[in-house]
Amino acid sequence: MNARHFSSVVQHILTSSSFFKTLIDHEVTVELKNDIQIRGVLKSVDQFLNIKLDNIQVVEELKYPHLSAVKNVFIRGSVVRYVHLPQESVDIQLLEDATRREAANQATKAKQG
Amino acid sequence: MENGATSQSEGKDPSGFLSEIIGNPVTVKLNSGVVYKGELQSVDGYMNIALEKTEEFINGVKRRSYGDAFVRGNNVMYISAD
Amino acid sequence: MADAVEDAGSVSEPMDLVRLLLDEVVCVKLRGDRELKGRLHAYDSHCNLVLGEVEETIYVVDDEDTEEDDLKTISRKSEMLFVRGDSVVLISPFTRS
Repeated sequence: MNARHFSSVVQHILTSSSFFKTLIDHEVTVELKNDIQIRGVLKSVDQFLNIKLDNIQVVEELKYPHLSAVKNVFIRGSVVRYVHLPQESVDIQLLEDATRREAANQATKAKQG
Repeated sequence: MENGATSQSEGKDPSGFLSEIIGNPVTVKLNSGVVYKGELQSVDGYMNIALEKTEEFINGVKRRSYGDAFVRGNNVMYISAD
Repeated sequence: MADAVEDAGSVSEPMDLVRLLLDEVVCVKLRGDRELKGRLHAYDSHCNLVLGEVEETIYVVDDEDTEEDDLKTISRKSEMLFVRGDSVVLISPFTRS
């Protein structure tokens, strides 16, 4: 039971981060749980969904002036609320197919386990 | 102690209780204090919950109803059989 | 294998309910008195979500000098949104108009 849960968790982390890998070098806006929004070019993402952004710009800079001198950031995944994405850089069909495949995988595993 | 005791005996452990009340009307209280009443469709090991014919109560006042509702397990304080 | 196909429409665990909502318009309740309405394009077991054509509603209590707690709402739109699962409280098919 525990081993099964563990392996499924690992797989899901991989799914999310491989989705973000397709967005590398695109401009995204990361919204943090403290409401700060940082726009920048996505440079890398890891298994925890930690994010590296280049060329950053803080939305509502007047409200959050302390970041105006910063050029690039590493954001801990756990403080992220949203990532706003450009619609044209997301292949919706691919994404939904991958999600369905993943769900089917889970079902098979649950039966075997 | 034998492994048969944990999986077979119903109502003796918490997950046995949960599988017994599937299909029944339940009350789910979240850590935020929000209460959901509905028919328990399913529960998993994370205490994720699927409810049918769900009604949402905030401060005891009915706020909204959902046909189906998935509740993420980490928000759950308790599940009680009505 | 045949079983997996047969089970495609059934709800035996909570995540199956979310699977049935793929490519549908959903209502998501989040921590911090936020709600999202949008089309569900992806999810995983953490409830990380990708939603399209999103409308976000934030409920804020406006207790400035008025006696009664005015419930103010802020509305925002986003064309495509990744939502981190740990903020998610509830997912349901969208019904209200």
